Amino acid sequence: MTDDTDQTRTDGSGPNIVPPDDETPTWHERKERSEGLSRVTYEYFERGRLEDQRLRQDSDYIERDVLGFPTWPHETIRNLSIASFFVGIIIALSATLPPHFGDEADPSVTPEIIVPDWYLYPAFGLLQLDPINPELALLGGEKLMSDELYGIAATTVVIGVLFIYPFVNKGSARRPIEEPFWAAVGMGGLMFGFTISVLSIDQIVADRMPGLTAPLIFDLTLLLPLVTAFITYAVLKAMQEGYMYELNRRYYRLRPPR
Amino acid sequence: MSVKPQDEFDRKAWLQEQDLTHLETIYLKILIYFDTRFRLVDYLEMMESLYYKANLQMPKSHTEQYNLDNKFWYWYPLYSLGLLTLLAYIVAAVSGALLGLYYAPSAEGDPSTAYSQMIFIMDELDFGLMLRSIHRWAAQFMVAAVFLHMLRVYFTGAYKEPRELNWVIGVILLILTIAFGYTGYLLPWNQLSMWAGQIGLEMALASPLIGEWLAQLMFGGFEVGQPALMRMYIVHVFLFPFIVTGLIIVHIGIVWMQGIAEPH
Ligand code: HEM
Repeated sequence: MTDDTDQTRTDGSGPNIVPPDDETPTWHERKERSEGLSRVTYEYFERGRLEDQRLRQDSDYIERDVLGFPTWPHETIRNLSIASFFVGIIIALSATLPPHFGDEADPSVTPEIIVPDWYLYPAFGLLQLDPINPELALLGGEKLMSDELYGIAATTVVIGVLFIYPFVNKGSARRPIEEPFWAAVGMGGLMFGFTISVLSIDQIVADRMPGLTAPLIFDLTLLLPLVTAFITYAVLKAMQEGYMYELNRRYYRLRPPR
Repeated sequence: MSVKPQDEFDRKAWLQEQDLTHLETIYLKILIYFDTRFRLVDYLEMMESLYYKANLQMPKSHTEQYNLDNKFWYWYPLYSLGLLTLLAYIVAAVSGALLGLYYAPSAEGDPSTAYSQMIFIMDELDFGLMLRSIHRWAAQFMVAAVFLHMLRVYFTGAYKEPRELNWVIGVILLILTIAFGYTGYLLPWNQLSMWAGQIGLEMALASPLIGEWLAQLMFGGFEVGQPALMRMYIVHVFLFPFIVTGLIIVHIGIVWMQGIAEPH
Protein backbone atom coordinates (compact mmCIF):
# COMPACT_ATOMS: atom_id res chain seq x y z
CA MET A 1 0.00 0.00 0.00
CA THR A 2 2.02 2.95 -1.23
CA ASP A 3 -0.75 5.12 -2.61
CA ASP A 4 -2.48 5.48 0.75
CA THR A 5 -1.48 9.03 1.48
CA ASP A 6 -2.34 11.16 -1.53
CA GLN A 7 -5.42 9.60 -3.07
CA THR A 8 -9.07 9.48 -2.31
CA ARG A 9 -9.96 5.88 -1.69
CA THR A 10 -12.96 3.93 -2.85
CA ASP A 11 -14.25 3.37 0.69
CA GLY A 12 -14.72 7.11 1.04
CA SER A 13 -11.70 8.02 3.14
CA GLY A 14 -8.65 9.92 2.00
CA PRO A 15 -6.78 13.18 2.39
CA ASN A 16 -9.44 15.47 0.94
CA ILE A 17 -12.39 13.94 2.70
CA VAL A 18 -13.55 15.63 5.89
CA PRO A 19 -15.57 13.31 8.09
CA PRO A 20 -18.75 14.86 9.48
CA ASP A 21 -18.32 16.06 13.04
CA ASP A 22 -19.52 18.89 15.21
CA GLU A 23 -17.60 21.39 13.13
CA THR A 24 -19.52 20.54 10.00
CA PRO A 25 -22.03 23.32 9.31
CA THR A 26 -25.63 22.28 9.86
CA TRP A 27 -28.36 22.87 7.33
CA HIS A 28 -29.35 26.10 9.05
CA GLU A 29 -25.83 27.40 9.18
CA ARG A 30 -25.27 26.66 5.53
CA LYS A 31 -28.49 28.37 4.56
CA GLU A 32 -27.75 31.38 6.70
CA ARG A 33 -24.49 31.84 4.90
CA SER A 34 -26.04 31.56 1.45
CA GLU A 35 -26.83 34.56 -0.71
CA GLY A 36 -29.40 35.74 -3.17
CA LEU A 37 -32.56 33.76 -3.79
CA SER A 38 -31.72 30.87 -1.53
CA ARG A 39 -30.99 33.31 1.29
CA VAL A 40 -34.38 34.96 0.80
CA THR A 41 -36.11 31.61 0.70
CA TYR A 42 -34.37 30.56 3.89
CA GLU A 43 -35.31 33.75 5.68
CA TYR A 44 -38.92 33.46 4.57
CA PHE A 45 -39.36 29.92 5.83
CA GLU A 46 -37.38 30.58 8.97
CA ARG A 47 -39.62 33.55 9.78
CA GLY A 48 -42.71 31.40 9.25
CA ARG A 49 -41.29 28.70 11.46
CA LEU A 50 -40.50 31.11 14.28
CA GLU A 51 -43.90 32.70 13.94
CA ASP A 52 -45.55 29.30 14.26
CA GLN A 53 -43.46 28.52 17.28
CA ARG A 54 -44.33 31.81 18.93
CA LEU A 55 -48.04 31.36 18.23
CA ARG A 56 -47.95 27.91 19.68
CA GLN A 57 -46.16 29.07 22.80
CA ASP A 58 -48.47 32.02 23.35
CA SER A 59 -51.63 30.11 22.61
CA ASP A 60 -53.87 29.12 25.49
CA TYR A 61 -55.35 26.32 23.45
CA ILE A 62 -55.28 22.97 25.14
CA GLU A 63 -52.75 20.75 23.43
CA ARG A 64 -54.11 17.41 22.40
CA ASP A 65 -52.25 14.22 22.99
CA VAL A 66 -54.47 12.25 20.63
CA LEU A 67 -54.95 13.43 17.06
CA GLY A 68 -58.26 11.79 16.25
CA PHE A 69 -59.76 8.37 15.93
CA PRO A 70 -57.35 5.52 15.44
CA THR A 71 -57.18 4.53 11.78
CA TRP A 72 -57.68 0.92 12.70
CA PRO A 73 -60.31 -0.16 13.44
CA HIS A 74 -62.51 2.96 13.56
CA GLU A 75 -61.76 4.72 10.30
CA THR A 76 -60.96 1.60 8.34
CA ILE A 77 -64.11 -0.25 9.28
CA ARG A 78 -66.23 2.82 8.65
CA ASN A 79 -64.69 3.35 5.22
CA LEU A 80 -64.95 -0.31 4.32
CA SER A 81 -68.60 -0.44 5.31
CA ILE A 82 -69.44 2.75 3.41
CA ALA A 83 -67.58 1.45 0.38
CA SER A 84 -69.14 -2.00 0.33
CA PHE A 85 -72.60 -0.61 0.99
CA PHE A 86 -72.30 1.90 -1.86
CA VAL A 87 -70.80 -0.52 -4.38
CA GLY A 88 -73.41 -3.04 -3.26
CA ILE A 89 -76.20 -0.61 -4.13
CA ILE A 90 -74.68 -0.01 -7.57
CA ILE A 91 -74.48 -3.74 -8.27
CA ALA A 92 -77.95 -4.46 -6.92
CA LEU A 93 -79.45 -1.73 -9.09
CA SER A 94 -77.51 -2.97 -12.11
CA ALA A 95 -78.86 -6.45 -11.61
CA THR A 96 -82.46 -5.33 -11.22
CA LEU A 97 -82.68 -2.39 -13.61
CA PRO A 98 -80.59 -2.95 -16.73
CA PRO A 99 -80.28 0.13 -18.94
CA HIS A 100 -82.55 0.92 -21.81
CA PHE A 101 -81.21 0.35 -25.30
CA GLY A 102 -82.78 2.20 -28.22
CA ASP A 103 -83.02 1.64 -31.95
CA GLU A 104 -80.09 1.89 -34.27
CA ALA A 105 -78.91 5.35 -35.29
CA ASP A 106 -80.72 6.57 -38.40
CA PRO A 107 -79.94 10.06 -39.72
CA SER A 108 -83.11 10.10 -41.83
CA VAL A 109 -85.53 9.65 -38.93
CA THR A 110 -85.76 12.31 -36.24
CA PRO A 111 -87.00 10.77 -33.01
CA GLU A 112 -90.07 12.39 -31.49
CA ILE A 113 -88.32 13.34 -28.31
CA ILE A 114 -84.60 13.83 -28.05
CA VAL A 115 -83.40 13.72 -24.48
CA PRO A 116 -79.88 13.46 -23.17
CA ASP A 117 -79.03 11.79 -19.85
CA TRP A 118 -80.60 13.48 -16.85
CA TYR A 119 -77.45 15.32 -15.79
CA LEU A 120 -77.46 17.22 -19.07
CA TYR A 121 -81.02 18.45 -18.54
CA PRO A 122 -79.87 21.73 -16.98
CA ALA A 123 -77.56 22.49 -19.92
CA PHE A 124 -80.29 21.33 -22.30
CA GLY A 125 -82.81 23.52 -20.53
CA LEU A 126 -80.61 26.59 -20.85
CA LEU A 127 -80.86 26.10 -24.61
CA GLN A 128 -84.60 26.57 -24.35
CA LEU A 129 -84.57 30.01 -22.82
CA ASP A 130 -85.15 31.54 -26.24
CA PRO A 131 -88.43 33.24 -25.25
CA ILE A 132 -86.38 35.66 -23.17
CA ASN A 133 -83.72 36.10 -25.82
CA PRO A 134 -84.01 39.87 -26.33
CA GLU A 135 -85.30 41.00 -29.70
CA LEU A 136 -83.91 44.31 -30.73
CA ALA A 137 -86.32 46.80 -32.22
CA LEU A 138 -83.28 48.40 -33.76
CA LEU A 139 -82.68 45.35 -35.89
CA GLY A 140 -86.32 45.24 -36.86
CA GLY A 141 -87.23 42.53 -34.36
CA GLU A 142 -84.19 40.50 -35.26
CA LYS A 143 -82.52 38.65 -32.45
CA LEU A 144 -79.01 39.72 -31.67
CA MET A 145 -77.91 36.21 -30.91
CA SER A 146 -79.12 32.95 -32.34
CA ASP A 147 -81.02 30.86 -29.82
CA GLU A 148 -78.18 28.35 -29.63
CA LEU A 149 -75.66 31.09 -28.97
CA TYR A 150 -77.98 32.47 -26.32
CA GLY A 151 -78.01 29.04 -24.69
CA ILE A 152 -74.24 28.84 -24.82
CA ALA A 153 -73.97 32.30 -23.29
CA ALA A 154 -76.33 31.27 -20.47
CA THR A 155 -74.29 28.12 -19.80
CA THR A 156 -71.09 30.15 -19.79
CA VAL A 157 -72.58 32.55 -17.27
CA VAL A 158 -73.61 29.70 -14.96
CA ILE A 159 -70.19 28.05 -15.15
CA GLY A 160 -68.45 31.40 -14.76
CA VAL A 161 -70.44 32.15 -11.61
CA LEU A 162 -69.43 28.76 -10.20
CA PHE A 163 -65.78 29.51 -10.95
CA ILE A 164 -65.58 32.94 -9.36
CA TYR A 165 -67.91 32.18 -6.50
CA PRO A 166 -65.29 31.63 -3.75
CA PHE A 167 -63.57 34.84 -4.77
CA VAL A 168 -66.79 36.81 -4.41
CA ASN A 169 -68.14 35.40 -1.16
CA LYS A 170 -65.25 35.88 1.23
CA GLY A 171 -65.03 36.03 4.99
CA SER A 172 -64.85 33.30 7.55
CA ALA A 173 -68.54 32.58 8.08
CA ARG A 174 -69.29 28.98 7.32
CA ARG A 175 -72.81 28.16 8.32
CA PRO A 176 -75.79 29.21 6.20
CA ILE A 177 -77.40 30.84 9.21
CA GLU A 178 -74.56 33.30 9.48
CA GLU A 179 -75.02 34.42 5.88
CA PRO A 180 -78.71 34.18 4.99
CA PHE A 181 -78.13 36.02 1.73
CA TRP A 182 -75.65 33.54 0.32
CA ALA A 183 -77.68 30.61 1.60
CA ALA A 184 -80.64 32.10 -0.27
CA VAL A 185 -78.52 32.39 -3.41
CA GLY A 186 -77.59 28.74 -3.01
CA MET A 187 -81.14 27.52 -2.51
CA GLY A 188 -82.35 29.67 -5.40
CA GLY A 189 -79.62 28.25 -7.61
CA LEU A 190 -80.49 24.73 -6.56
CA MET A 191 -84.15 25.34 -7.35
CA PHE A 192 -83.19 26.87 -10.70
CA GLY A 193 -81.15 23.76 -11.48
CA PHE A 194 -84.26 21.72 -10.85
CA THR A 195 -86.76 23.90 -12.71
CA ILE A 196 -84.49 24.39 -15.71
CA SER A 197 -84.20 20.59 -15.90
CA VAL A 198 -87.97 20.30 -15.91
CA LEU A 199 -88.10 22.97 -18.62
CA SER A 200 -85.80 20.90 -20.81
CA ILE A 201 -88.35 18.09 -20.84
CA ASP A 202 -91.43 20.31 -20.63
CA GLN A 203 -93.22 18.43 -23.43
CA ILE A 204 -93.03 15.14 -21.55
CA VAL A 205 -93.97 16.75 -18.25
CA ALA A 206 -96.90 18.61 -19.80
CA ASP A 207 -98.16 15.34 -21.30
CA ARG A 208 -97.94 13.47 -18.03
CA MET A 209 -99.34 16.21 -15.79
CA PRO A 210 -102.47 17.76 -17.25
CA GLY A 211 -102.34 20.81 -14.94
CA LEU A 212 -99.00 21.95 -16.27
CA THR A 213 -98.81 23.57 -19.67
CA ALA A 214 -95.57 24.48 -21.40
CA PRO A 215 -95.94 28.27 -20.91
CA LEU A 216 -96.78 27.74 -17.25
CA ILE A 217 -93.67 25.60 -16.82
CA PHE A 218 -91.64 28.37 -18.40
CA ASP A 219 -92.97 30.97 -16.00
CA LEU A 220 -92.45 28.68 -13.02
CA THR A 221 -88.86 28.08 -14.15
CA LEU A 222 -88.03 31.70 -13.53
CA LEU A 223 -90.40 32.28 -10.62
CA LEU A 224 -89.85 29.31 -8.32
CA PRO A 225 -86.13 29.98 -7.74
CA LEU A 226 -86.91 33.54 -6.68
CA VAL A 227 -89.61 32.36 -4.31
CA THR A 228 -87.31 29.71 -2.85
CA ALA A 229 -84.53 32.22 -2.33
CA PHE A 230 -86.91 34.63 -0.66
CA ILE A 231 -88.33 32.02 1.71
CA THR A 232 -84.84 30.78 2.61
CA TYR A 233 -83.75 34.30 3.38
CA ALA A 234 -86.79 35.02 5.52
CA VAL A 235 -86.54 31.79 7.50
CA LEU A 236 -82.83 32.12 8.16
CA LYS A 237 -83.15 35.75 9.16
CA ALA A 238 -85.83 34.78 11.64
CA MET A 239 -83.72 31.99 13.06
CA GLN A 240 -80.57 34.02 13.12
CA GLU A 241 -81.17 36.13 16.18
CA GLY A 242 -81.49 33.40 18.77
CA TYR A 243 -78.82 31.35 17.15
CA MET A 244 -76.18 34.04 17.00
CA TYR A 245 -76.98 34.95 20.57
CA GLU A 246 -76.15 31.42 21.72
CA LEU A 247 -73.01 31.35 19.61
CA ASN A 248 -71.73 34.69 20.81
CA ARG A 249 -72.43 33.84 24.40
CA ARG A 250 -70.42 30.66 24.14
CA TYR A 251 -67.68 32.47 22.29
CA TYR A 252 -67.30 35.29 24.76
CA ARG A 253 -67.43 32.97 27.72
CA LEU A 254 -64.43 31.17 26.30
CA ARG A 255 -62.51 34.26 25.24
CA PRO A 256 -63.77 37.30 27.14
CA PRO A 257 -63.21 40.58 25.27
CA ARG A 258 -60.25 42.49 26.65
CA MET B 1 -7.72 -2.26 -5.32
CA SER B 2 -11.01 -3.42 -4.05
CA VAL B 3 -12.76 -2.86 -0.81
CA LYS B 4 -14.66 -5.69 0.75
CA PRO B 5 -18.15 -4.68 1.67
CA GLN B 6 -18.60 -4.83 5.41
CA ASP B 7 -21.61 -4.80 7.60
CA GLU B 8 -20.61 -2.43 10.35
CA PHE B 9 -23.64 -3.21 12.39
CA ASP B 10 -23.05 -6.91 11.89
CA ARG B 11 -26.69 -7.64 11.38
CA LYS B 12 -26.04 -11.34 10.85
CA ALA B 13 -24.54 -11.83 14.27
CA TRP B 14 -27.29 -9.80 15.80
CA LEU B 15 -29.82 -12.00 14.10
CA GLN B 16 -28.13 -15.12 15.47
CA GLU B 17 -28.26 -13.81 19.01
CA GLN B 18 -31.96 -13.23 18.94
CA ASP B 19 -34.36 -15.89 20.05
CA LEU B 20 -36.77 -15.80 17.15
CA THR B 21 -39.51 -17.85 15.61
CA HIS B 22 -39.13 -19.01 12.06
CA LEU B 23 -41.56 -16.38 10.81
CA GLU B 24 -39.80 -13.57 12.62
CA THR B 25 -36.46 -14.62 11.18
CA ILE B 26 -37.79 -14.57 7.64
CA TYR B 27 -39.44 -11.22 8.24
CA LEU B 28 -36.26 -9.71 9.67
CA LYS B 29 -34.15 -11.07 6.84
CA ILE B 30 -36.40 -9.44 4.28
CA LEU B 31 -36.40 -6.22 6.27
CA ILE B 32 -32.61 -6.24 6.55
CA TYR B 33 -32.30 -6.97 2.85
CA PHE B 34 -34.23 -3.83 1.98
CA ASP B 35 -32.81 -1.75 4.80
CA THR B 36 -29.24 -2.36 3.68
CA ARG B 37 -30.22 -1.24 0.21
CA PHE B 38 -32.65 1.60 0.79
CA ARG B 39 -31.80 2.71 4.33
CA LEU B 40 -35.40 2.32 5.38
CA VAL B 41 -34.47 3.37 8.88
CA ASP B 42 -33.98 6.95 7.70
CA TYR B 43 -37.49 7.14 6.32
CA LEU B 44 -38.87 5.51 9.41
CA GLU B 45 -37.27 8.15 11.57
CA MET B 46 -38.59 10.87 9.32
CA MET B 47 -42.13 9.52 9.55
CA GLU B 48 -41.83 9.09 13.27
CA SER B 49 -40.73 12.64 13.89
CA LEU B 50 -43.43 13.93 11.53
CA TYR B 51 -46.03 11.93 13.41
CA TYR B 52 -45.00 13.16 16.83
CA LYS B 53 -44.59 16.73 15.70
CA ALA B 54 -48.08 16.70 14.26
CA ASN B 55 -49.38 15.33 17.51
CA LEU B 56 -47.66 17.94 19.59
CA GLN B 57 -48.56 20.88 17.41
CA MET B 58 -52.20 20.13 16.80
CA PRO B 59 -54.16 22.67 18.79
CA LYS B 60 -57.61 21.97 20.04
CA SER B 61 -59.83 22.01 17.00
CA HIS B 62 -62.43 24.63 16.39
CA THR B 63 -65.20 22.08 16.74
CA GLU B 64 -63.96 21.11 20.16
CA GLN B 65 -63.24 24.64 21.27
CA TYR B 66 -66.71 25.93 20.61
CA ASN B 67 -68.54 22.72 21.28
CA LEU B 68 -69.94 22.47 17.79
CA ASP B 69 -70.01 18.70 17.84
CA ASN B 70 -73.76 18.47 17.55
CA LYS B 71 -73.83 20.72 14.48
CA PHE B 72 -70.86 19.02 12.89
CA TRP B 73 -71.77 15.40 13.38
CA TYR B 74 -75.31 15.98 12.24
CA TRP B 75 -74.05 16.80 8.76
CA TYR B 76 -71.12 14.44 8.89
CA PRO B 77 -72.57 11.69 6.66
CA LEU B 78 -72.62 14.21 3.83
CA TYR B 79 -68.86 14.53 4.14
CA SER B 80 -68.53 11.07 2.63
CA LEU B 81 -69.95 12.20 -0.72
CA GLY B 82 -66.48 12.97 -2.12
CA LEU B 83 -65.37 9.47 -1.26
CA LEU B 84 -68.51 8.02 -2.84
CA THR B 85 -67.76 9.94 -6.04
CA LEU B 86 -64.32 8.42 -6.09
CA LEU B 87 -65.71 4.92 -5.48
CA ALA B 88 -68.25 5.25 -8.28
CA TYR B 89 -65.46 6.49 -10.54
CA ILE B 90 -63.35 3.44 -9.74
CA VAL B 91 -66.26 1.05 -10.35
CA ALA B 92 -66.99 2.78 -13.67
CA ALA B 93 -63.32 2.64 -14.65
CA VAL B 94 -63.00 -1.08 -13.98
CA SER B 95 -66.26 -2.04 -15.70
CA GLY B 96 -65.45 0.36 -18.55
CA ALA B 97 -62.06 -1.24 -19.11
CA LEU B 98 -63.79 -4.63 -19.39
CA LEU B 99 -66.45 -3.28 -21.76
CA GLY B 100 -63.68 -1.81 -23.88
CA LEU B 101 -62.44 -5.30 -24.65
CA TYR B 102 -65.59 -6.00 -26.68
CA TYR B 103 -66.64 -2.64 -28.07
CA ALA B 104 -65.57 -1.30 -31.46
CA PRO B 105 -66.02 2.38 -32.35
CA SER B 106 -67.23 2.13 -35.91
CA ALA B 107 -70.34 3.62 -37.45
CA GLU B 108 -69.80 1.67 -40.69
CA GLY B 109 -72.04 -1.17 -41.74
CA ASP B 110 -75.72 -1.88 -41.29
CA PRO B 111 -76.35 -2.15 -38.43
CA SER B 112 -73.21 -0.27 -37.55
CA THR B 113 -70.38 -2.19 -35.94
CA ALA B 114 -70.64 -0.16 -32.74
CA TYR B 115 -74.35 -0.94 -32.45
CA SER B 116 -73.99 -4.63 -33.21
CA GLN B 117 -71.12 -4.94 -30.75
CA MET B 118 -73.41 -3.46 -28.10
CA ILE B 119 -76.07 -6.04 -29.03
CA PHE B 120 -73.40 -8.73 -28.83
CA ILE B 121 -72.30 -7.54 -25.38
CA MET B 122 -75.85 -7.49 -24.10
CA ASP B 123 -77.23 -10.67 -25.64
CA GLU B 124 -74.38 -13.11 -26.10
CA LEU B 125 -71.44 -12.15 -23.94
CA ASP B 126 -71.51 -13.89 -20.57
CA PHE B 127 -72.19 -11.34 -17.90
CA GLY B 128 -72.21 -8.67 -20.64
CA LEU B 129 -75.56 -7.11 -19.83
CA MET B 130 -74.56 -6.94 -16.18
CA LEU B 131 -71.26 -5.33 -17.12
CA ARG B 132 -72.93 -2.63 -19.18
CA SER B 133 -75.51 -2.16 -16.47
CA ILE B 134 -72.86 -1.70 -13.81
CA HIS B 135 -70.94 0.76 -15.96
CA ARG B 136 -74.01 2.85 -16.57
CA TRP B 137 -75.25 2.85 -13.01
CA ALA B 138 -71.79 3.66 -11.69
CA ALA B 139 -71.64 6.62 -14.08
CA GLN B 140 -75.07 7.83 -12.96
CA PHE B 141 -74.05 7.50 -9.31
CA MET B 142 -70.84 9.37 -9.94
CA VAL B 143 -72.59 12.34 -11.50
CA ALA B 144 -75.23 12.39 -8.77
CA ALA B 145 -72.58 12.17 -6.06
CA VAL B 146 -70.55 14.99 -7.65
CA PHE B 147 -73.58 17.29 -7.62
CA LEU B 148 -74.42 16.45 -4.02
CA HIS B 149 -70.78 16.77 -3.00
CA MET B 150 -70.70 20.25 -4.48
CA LEU B 151 -73.87 21.18 -2.59
CA ARG B 152 -72.42 19.95 0.68
CA VAL B 153 -69.25 21.99 0.03
CA TYR B 154 -71.40 25.04 -0.74
CA PHE B 155 -73.69 24.84 2.26
CA THR B 156 -70.94 24.08 4.76
CA GLY B 157 -68.93 27.00 3.42
CA ALA B 158 -65.97 24.69 2.80
CA TYR B 159 -64.89 26.60 -0.32
CA LYS B 160 -63.65 29.63 1.58
CA GLU B 161 -60.05 30.66 2.01
CA PRO B 162 -57.65 28.64 1.84
CA ARG B 163 -59.74 26.21 -0.22
CA GLU B 164 -60.80 28.36 -3.19
CA LEU B 165 -58.39 26.63 -5.53
CA ASN B 166 -59.81 23.26 -4.64
CA TRP B 167 -63.27 24.58 -5.44
CA VAL B 168 -62.03 25.73 -8.85
CA ILE B 169 -60.47 22.32 -9.49
CA GLY B 170 -63.80 20.89 -8.36
CA VAL B 171 -65.76 22.92 -10.91
CA ILE B 172 -63.41 21.67 -13.63
CA LEU B 173 -63.99 18.12 -12.38
CA LEU B 174 -67.75 18.69 -12.47
CA ILE B 175 -67.61 19.83 -16.09
CA LEU B 176 -65.31 16.96 -17.03
CA THR B 177 -67.58 14.43 -15.29
CA ILE B 178 -70.58 15.66 -17.26
CA ALA B 179 -68.58 15.69 -20.49
CA PHE B 180 -67.42 12.16 -19.65
CA GLY B 181 -71.05 11.13 -19.45
CA TYR B 182 -71.91 12.89 -22.70
CA THR B 183 -69.11 11.25 -24.69
CA GLY B 184 -70.10 7.87 -23.26
CA TYR B 185 -73.76 8.44 -24.18
CA LEU B 186 -72.75 8.68 -27.85
CA LEU B 187 -70.83 5.42 -28.00
CA PRO B 188 -73.70 2.86 -28.37
CA TRP B 189 -74.61 4.66 -31.59
CA ASN B 190 -78.34 4.30 -31.25
CA GLN B 191 -80.93 6.91 -32.15
CA LEU B 192 -80.57 8.88 -28.93
CA SER B 193 -76.77 8.81 -29.16
CA MET B 194 -76.73 10.18 -32.65
CA TRP B 195 -79.25 12.91 -32.04
CA ALA B 196 -77.57 13.93 -28.81
CA GLY B 197 -74.46 14.23 -30.95
CA GLN B 198 -76.44 16.37 -33.38
CA ILE B 199 -77.40 18.80 -30.61
CA GLY B 200 -73.80 18.96 -29.46
CA LEU B 201 -72.65 19.68 -32.99
CA GLU B 202 -75.18 22.47 -33.38
CA MET B 203 -74.06 24.02 -30.13
CA ALA B 204 -70.44 23.82 -31.18
CA LEU B 205 -71.29 25.45 -34.51
CA ALA B 206 -73.22 28.24 -32.79
CA SER B 207 -70.23 29.36 -30.72
CA PRO B 208 -68.95 32.71 -31.89
CA LEU B 209 -65.72 32.92 -33.90
CA ILE B 210 -64.40 29.44 -33.14
CA GLY B 211 -67.63 27.61 -34.01
CA GLU B 212 -66.51 25.81 -37.16
CA TRP B 213 -63.09 25.10 -35.80
CA LEU B 214 -64.65 23.64 -32.64
CA ALA B 215 -67.00 21.46 -34.65
CA GLN B 216 -64.08 20.18 -36.70
CA LEU B 217 -62.08 19.50 -33.58
CA MET B 218 -64.75 17.71 -31.62
CA PHE B 219 -66.92 16.11 -34.27
CA GLY B 220 -64.51 15.85 -37.17
CA GLY B 221 -66.82 17.60 -39.58
CA PHE B 222 -70.22 19.21 -39.92
CA GLU B 223 -72.31 16.10 -39.57
CA VAL B 224 -72.41 13.39 -36.98
CA GLY B 225 -70.82 10.26 -38.38
CA GLN B 226 -67.84 7.97 -38.13
CA PRO B 227 -65.31 10.77 -37.35
CA ALA B 228 -67.50 12.05 -34.52
CA LEU B 229 -67.88 8.57 -33.04
CA MET B 230 -64.14 7.96 -33.25
CA ARG B 231 -63.36 11.23 -31.51
CA MET B 232 -65.88 10.65 -28.76
CA TYR B 233 -64.37 7.20 -28.26
CA ILE B 234 -60.81 8.48 -27.95
CA VAL B 235 -61.89 11.24 -25.59
CA HIS B 236 -63.94 8.83 -23.49
CA VAL B 237 -61.45 6.00 -23.13
CA PHE B 238 -58.12 7.77 -23.45
CA LEU B 239 -58.09 11.52 -22.88
CA PHE B 240 -60.60 11.97 -20.06
CA PRO B 241 -59.50 9.00 -17.94
CA PHE B 242 -56.00 10.49 -17.68
CA ILE B 243 -57.11 14.05 -17.06
CA VAL B 244 -59.86 13.20 -14.59
CA THR B 245 -57.74 10.69 -12.66
CA GLY B 246 -54.93 13.22 -12.43
CA LEU B 247 -57.22 16.01 -11.28
CA ILE B 248 -58.90 13.78 -8.70
CA ILE B 249 -55.47 12.91 -7.30
CA VAL B 250 -54.56 16.60 -7.09
CA HIS B 251 -57.98 17.45 -5.60
CA ILE B 252 -57.81 14.82 -2.87
CA GLY B 253 -54.11 15.55 -2.32
CA ILE B 254 -55.01 19.16 -1.58
CA VAL B 255 -57.74 18.03 0.82
CA TRP B 256 -55.13 15.87 2.47
CA MET B 257 -52.74 18.78 2.85
CA GLN B 258 -55.33 21.30 4.01
CA GLY B 259 -57.53 19.08 6.08
CA ILE B 260 -61.32 19.00 6.02
CA ALA B 261 -62.90 22.38 6.72
CA GLU B 262 -64.72 22.57 9.98
CA PRO B 263 -67.83 24.65 10.45
CA HIS B 264 -67.11 28.06 11.89
C1 HEM C 1 -64.67 13.80 -9.61
C2 HEM C 1 -65.21 14.56 -8.75
C3 HEM C 1 -64.77 14.79 -7.30
C4 HEM C 1 -64.13 13.94 -6.42
C5 HEM C 1 -63.68 12.51 -6.66
C6 HEM C 1 -63.98 14.67 -5.18
C7 HEM C 1 -63.41 14.15 -4.03
C8 HEM C 1 -63.32 14.84 -2.84
C9 HEM C 1 -63.03 14.25 -1.55
C10 HEM C 1 -62.78 12.77 -1.29
C11 HEM C 1 -63.02 15.26 -0.63
C12 HEM C 1 -62.81 15.09 0.88
C13 HEM C 1 -64.00 15.59 1.67
C14 HEM C 1 -65.32 15.01 1.28
O1 HEM C 1 -65.36 13.85 0.89
O2 HEM C 1 -66.32 15.74 1.31
C15 HEM C 1 -63.28 16.49 -1.34
C16 HEM C 1 -63.33 17.75 -0.76
C17 HEM C 1 -63.61 18.93 -1.44
N1 HEM C 1 -64.17 19.02 -2.70
FE1 HEM C 1 -64.31 17.48 -3.99
N2 HEM C 1 -64.50 15.94 -5.33
C18 HEM C 1 -65.00 16.05 -6.61
C19 HEM C 1 -65.66 17.13 -7.16
C20 HEM C 1 -65.77 18.38 -6.55
C21 HEM C 1 -66.58 19.48 -7.02
C22 HEM C 1 -67.48 19.44 -8.25
C23 HEM C 1 -66.37 20.52 -6.15
C24 HEM C 1 -66.96 21.92 -6.17
C25 HEM C 1 -67.25 22.61 -7.18
C26 HEM C 1 -65.44 20.08 -5.14
C27 HEM C 1 -64.95 20.87 -4.12
C28 HEM C 1 -64.35 20.37 -2.98
C29 HEM C 1 -63.85 21.17 -1.89
C30 HEM C 1 -63.85 22.72 -1.81
C31 HEM C 1 -63.40 20.28 -0.92
C32 HEM C 1 -62.81 20.62 0.45
C33 HEM C 1 -63.96 20.49 1.43
C34 HEM C 1 -63.55 20.53 2.87
O3 HEM C 1 -62.37 20.72 3.14
O4 HEM C 1 -64.44 20.35 3.71
N3 HEM C 1 -65.12 18.76 -5.40
N4 HEM C 1 -63.47 16.21 -2.68
